Amino acid sequence: MAAKISKLEEQFQKDAPREKQKDGTSSCIFNGVAIYVNGYTDPSADELRRLMMLHGGQFHLYYTHSRTTHIIATNLPNRKIQELKGEKVVRPEWITDSIKAGRQLSYVQYQLYAKQKSLNFTSICARGKPDLSSTSDPFKPSPSHPQSDSIKPQSSHTQTLSKEVLKSTHTNHTANFTENGSCSIIFEEDTERPRVNGIHDGDDETCALLPRGSQDTLLTNGYVHPVNGALKPQDSFTEHSSHVVDTGSHHTHLPQTESRDREEPSCSSAGSKSTSHQRSLISTARTSAAPQKGNLHDQTRVRLNGSYHTTPNSSNLADSSNHPGKSGQGAEAGIISEFFSHSRLHHISTWRNEFSEYVNALQSRRRAARGAVFSGKEKLKKKKKSVFLFGPGSLMAAPQVRQSCILHVDMDCFFVSVGIRHRPDLIGKPVAVTSNRGPGRVAQRPGANPQLEFQYYQRKQKQYRKGKLSNGVDLDLAALSMAEIASCSYEARQAGVRNGMFFGRAKQLCPDLQSVPYDFQAYKEVALSMYETLASYTHNIEALSCDEALVDATNLLVEVGVNPDDLAQAIREDIKEKTGCSASVGMGSNILLARMATRKAKPNGQYFLRSEEVDDFIRDQPVSSLPGVGRSMSSKLTSLGVSTCGDLQQLSISRLQREFGPRTGQTLFRFCRGLDDRPVRSEKERKSVSAEMNYNIRFTQVEEAESFLTDLSMEVQKRLEGAGLRGRRITLKVMVRKPGAPVEPAKYGGHGICDNFARSVLLAQPTDSGQLIAAEAIKLFHGMKLHVKDMRGVGLQVQQLEGSHANPSGQGSSRGRSIKDLLLAKQPAHSPKKDPLAPQDGSTSTSSSRVCSSSQERVTHPSSPPSTSSDPVPGTSKGGLHHPHPPNHVRTCLNVTIEVPSPSQVDQSVLEALPVDIRKQVELSWRHREEQPSTSSHLSTPPRTSSSPPPGPSLGTLVLQLPHQPGQPCTTGIILELPDFSQVDPDVFAALPRELQEELCSAYRNKRNAQAHVQAQSSAVMQKNTFPQLKQPAVGKLKHRYKKRNASPAKKGPSPLKKLFPGNSPAKSSPSKTLPLPLKQPGLKTENVQCPSSSSTDVPETLSKFNPRPVPTLAGAYEFSDIRTLLREWVTSISEPMEEDILQVVKYCTELVEDKDLEKLCLVIKYMKRLMQQSPESVWSMAFDFILDNVQVVVQQTYGSTLKIT
Amino acid sequence: MIFYKRDAPLFIKGCCIYFGCFSMATLTRQDLNFGQVVADILCEFLEVAIHLILYVREIYPSGIFQKRKKYNVPVQMSCHPELNQYIQDTLHCVKPLIQKNEAEKVVMVIMDKEHHPVERFVFEISQPPLLSISSETLLSHVEQLLRAMILKISVCDAVLDNNPPGCTFTLLVHTREAATRNMEKVQVIKDFPWIVADEQEVHMEEAKLIPLKTMTSDILKMQLYVEERTQKN
Repeated sequence: MAAKISKLEEQFQKDAPREKQKDGTSSCIFNGVAIYVNGYTDPSADELRRLMMLHGGQFHLYYTHSRTTHIIATNLPNRKIQELKGEKVVRPEWITDSIKAGRQLSYVQYQLYAKQKSLNFTSICARGKPDLSSTSDPFKPSPSHPQSDSIKPQSSHTQTLSKEVLKSTHTNHTANFTENGSCSIIFEEDTERPRVNGIHDGDDETCALLPRGSQDTLLTNGYVHPVNGALKPQDSFTEHSSHVVDTGSHHTHLPQTESRDREEPSCSSAGSKSTSHQRSLISTARTSAAPQKGNLHDQTRVRLNGSYHTTPNSSNLADSSNHPGKSGQGAEAGIISEFFSHSRLHHISTWRNEFSEYVNALQSRRRAARGAVFSGKEKLKKKKKSVFLFGPGSLMAAPQVRQSCILHVDMDCFFVSVGIRHRPDLIGKPVAVTSNRGPGRVAQRPGANPQLEFQYYQRKQKQYRKGKLSNGVDLDLAALSMAEIASCSYEARQAGVRNGMFFGRAKQLCPDLQSVPYDFQAYKEVALSMYETLASYTHNIEALSCDEALVDATNLLVEVGVNPDDLAQAIREDIKEKTGCSASVGMGSNILLARMATRKAKPNGQYFLRSEEVDDFIRDQPVSSLPGVGRSMSSKLTSLGVSTCGDLQQLSISRLQREFGPRTGQTLFRFCRGLDDRPVRSEKERKSVSAEMNYNIRFTQVEEAESFLTDLSMEVQKRLEGAGLRGRRITLKVMVRKPGAPVEPAKYGGHGICDNFARSVLLAQPTDSGQLIAAEAIKLFHGMKLHVKDMRGVGLQVQQLEGSHANPSGQGSSRGRSIKDLLLAKQPAHSPKKDPLAPQDGSTSTSSSRVCSSSQERVTHPSSPPSTSSDPVPGTSKGGLHHPHPPNHVRTCLNVTIEVPSPSQVDQSVLEALPVDIRKQVELSWRHREEQPSTSSHLSTPPRTSSSPPPGPSLGTLVLQLPHQPGQPCTTGIILELPDFSQVDPDVFAALPRELQEELCSAYRNKRNAQAHVQAQSSAVMQKNTFPQLKQPAVGKLKHRYKKRNASPAKKGPSPLKKLFPGNSPAKSSPSKTLPLPLKQPGLKTENVQCPSSSSTDVPETLSKFNPRPVPTLAGAYEFSDIRTLLREWVTSISEPMEEDILQVVKYCTELVEDKDLEKLCLVIKYMKRLMQQSPESVWSMAFDFILDNVQVVVQQTYGSTLKIT
Repeated sequence: MIFYKRDAPLFIKGCCIYFGCFSMATLTRQDLNFGQVVADILCEFLEVAIHLILYVREIYPSGIFQKRKKYNVPVQMSCHPELNQYIQDTLHCVKPLIQKNEAEKVVMVIMDKEHHPVERFVFEISQPPLLSISSETLLSHVEQLLRAMILKISVCDAVLDNNPPGCTFTLLVHTREAATRNMEKVQVIKDFPWIVADEQEVHMEEAKLIPLKTMTSDILKMQLYVEERTQKN
């Protein structure tokens, strides 16, 4: 095809010069124009082709969307018009006239019909003199042009008009210009018109035939719907010869701007006589000269509508006098709460929350009352018994296997059945619940352009459902009631009425359709009794909406021993009895299947989708029946050739994930196989709280919008308070009239065709203050720079919710609640208890702490030592192997909590050696632990228990854990595992009784000896310095600071240590090192969690393989800020750096490289550079160079390039 | 050490709107393989990062970029279909590698007209050998870290010299040993084969290393650094 087209084009190009030669008169006025001729035209297509050749244009035999610029036609079928929406469809006169004029005229006057895209001012121009329009300059002939220009045209314009008027001798009219420059011709009788206009009866045609009167700038009444054929005479003027303008006249609507134009270009024939058509034309064309009139009229219409007295909505309607230019009704004080207290949608949507809460309340009541009375369940049991007595019945069918069973209970056309439950006369008749009770016809309001909107929606719909035009919107709809049908009975559905359809349209489809008003009180009553009924069976209910609920009947069925069908039967009978309304029940093994089964069960039935039937059942289901598959997704699926779930099953998961993203793809993949693991949740977490109003929003001033936002914020505040939540993210959603859409939407007070905008802001603190929300919202609103008059809807949403009572890191917070938070939150709770051991006298405290440490002993097994003593580089590995022991925790632990390792960890002999009461305590806590499996999800290995504390108050306490030394003389008779010296909190140490201190010191000395022994061969540089320094801390002050944390017990943290240990011997004090850091780092934290003292014998295989790289530290400092402090102190307090210290730093840097933390490395080096090069001593500068060189070598080796140090 | 590469498409004029499908994968579903989750998160991040680097380093005209929001910060995304396709395809191929922890580095090489690399943005990835997911909160933590990285990228032009005009880019993946054979065998996307990278693309003479950001989380450890040629022009 493409080849053919290009061949044709080639041919055309070839022919063109020849043709030009032949004709002699050629030009290139149509340069860049490519036409496509559709159907019969005059001149013929061949002639047009020739003309295009002559004048430099292109002629396409086939229509190509992208390349054809104009479509030439004099007549188009309806379908074509729909298809070519948005294209330039012009009459052939355009070409001939352009040639005559010798240049390319603006096509807009020749358009076959008005386009949908844009609207604008229309004006009247005499037709009957085609020359006038064609010869006049297309770029400035318009009387509706800017005022300055308009004076001259005006005269001609009025002239032509008056000519016509003379001919018709019917009206006197004047032409005038409204401020905005659009031409308006006001007929004097207009004053009477509006009243009549509203009523579209045959007899008012005379009145309705008035010429378009004044046109407000944005009113688009001149626009006429082309659906029924663009060639029908479009102008209301010409239709009836008895009136106004002479029949021959055309309106040519002069363009405001090229793109803005719209108009029925008026084919000359004044032929069409379809009255209904006319009527609608009239109704669209009708305008009112005075806005006041329009208002008056609208109110009338409201009454006509019949909804004035009946629904809350319409009371709003009535309030809002349609003053587009006067007062935004939405701005009135109190309107918002009134709106929300009346809005039915709001009602219905909040019910779901209410019922969820109801279910929650039921559950909590049951918890409080310890076993509620399930009357329904009892009944069921009784019934079953009777069945058992009187016959085998379904007893044997009762499911023996415990299989999950979800019931989806859904009321049948809820609103209708509630509405007619006291009106037996309506049973069996087509009934619809709607606010409209009139004949289904309403009058037209000024500024409204329903056709346009219908077409817009239709076109939108067409994008999704190709070729299938939905519910037959036709011209007549303009005059029909726009009240939506909330629900209709099955009888009505048979006639083609659907929920959500406009009442007027439904009435056409089904003339005997009865309308029933809303009755919110009744809905609530019925819904409540339905929920009560369900709750009498079980409390595992998830409220979906006011008439829909999910019930997890798995336990119930097992308990009572009936099969699902019986249960459903019982529930349905119960509901019918209590509410007088019927319900359908779908059953399946999961929520998805239950819902699908309900579809099959309806109306008033039940269906149990057995697991063996699932495959066959689901294969034939359309994809759109899956939850989450809406219009856009189903259209996407259709484009993949998928219409049923069976088709969907053919697609691979990777394909789905590629098309729809990982999560949705996965969900689809599972859903189309009937798999669904969503649980029935009786409690649901709210994700957002919002208030939105897109009804009747008409602002004129910014202040109105602001005060509206404030009111809306207050509403949100009310809701937040109601839900007990605060939120951090505030989103402002605004609906703005789409440029070109009619000012007045088809639905009264509705929003019409809109663009949606949203902006959001993240607050530092969660809030529920309306003031704060309002302030933010107004800020956002100003940021959007909108035209207030065009606003049609405003919504405020608060997300990222947290419970208002919980602290920021409390439960329910959706944002980062880290382990750290948890620990920090717990810490203060423990601090009061951390009084030292002092109160106890020396001997008892010793023994008790000894007991503590022994009972805490993680590793007492003789085979445990490797981790501590055989590790060749303790400096790097040991730090990670031990749990961080925040000092105060240790103390807490010693004093208050007994941290019990898992049974497998404890040496039986040790346990036996314990005093009876303590042993009991230990055993008790084991039992406790069994009941309450550890909450941590990291590892299920015993060592974890040290970081995931046992239940009870000990959360946040950590154990003093002493690495065990082989062959170490144990003075106490209990084998102690000593932690690395660096792990011992000086405070704790100091607080220990003297005896114990000495004991510990000797233990450490022993340990050191053992270590030295083992480490002799691995000989790390710093190891050598370890012991001497220990003896002479004063001299090695600097060195201490720069020892690796684990390598050297002599290493010291910054000053605090020294202050703390004035009285202690240096040997004892210096090894201690606080290590608060890991706690501050969630990432590090978990790493520590994952590296238990691997000495424990029953560490699983997988774990022992996993030997995590410890976090590089410089003298125990991990965080950059600490490193910096350390470095600064080093450089500032020492005049000449010592070699070991420099080596330490180099080593640290090397570790950073190995740890792939170049960022930190870079920062450290830069910091050192600054420090050392500024130092007065040139030694420091050299030291830095030395460090840098060494580091660069390492980096070069690892990465092949060197660091850029600026 | 084996690098694989794919050449970037030449820039073609024209624009089209690209709707990136970015959503933070959630870890709540147990049936999702952990590696897959990490790979999803990482590839998503890499896509954002690559686009942003292209923008920041002015490889393509800024006209083809659109501002978007990701990780709660503004980022720039190309809306050029072919370019996007290339990035997506590449990452799609990288994903299985990351899943199996076989990708060590993902490198974005910026080359001058003579196809000599001037800058290499290296994403060095390592995953902890023992994987675990604990809760949603960790995810937000990861997101924070990724956000920090994105922010760092968007200001990286401050520490880098300007590139010569007419630069192109290519993406390399540095796999661990055994992955090589599989790569050749299994083409994840048809007609999108990988080739072993030239030595010159892998190594740059007189390169300077500029670390940009390192992130450490439970599921992923990653550092981003730039290797920059000393003499760019």
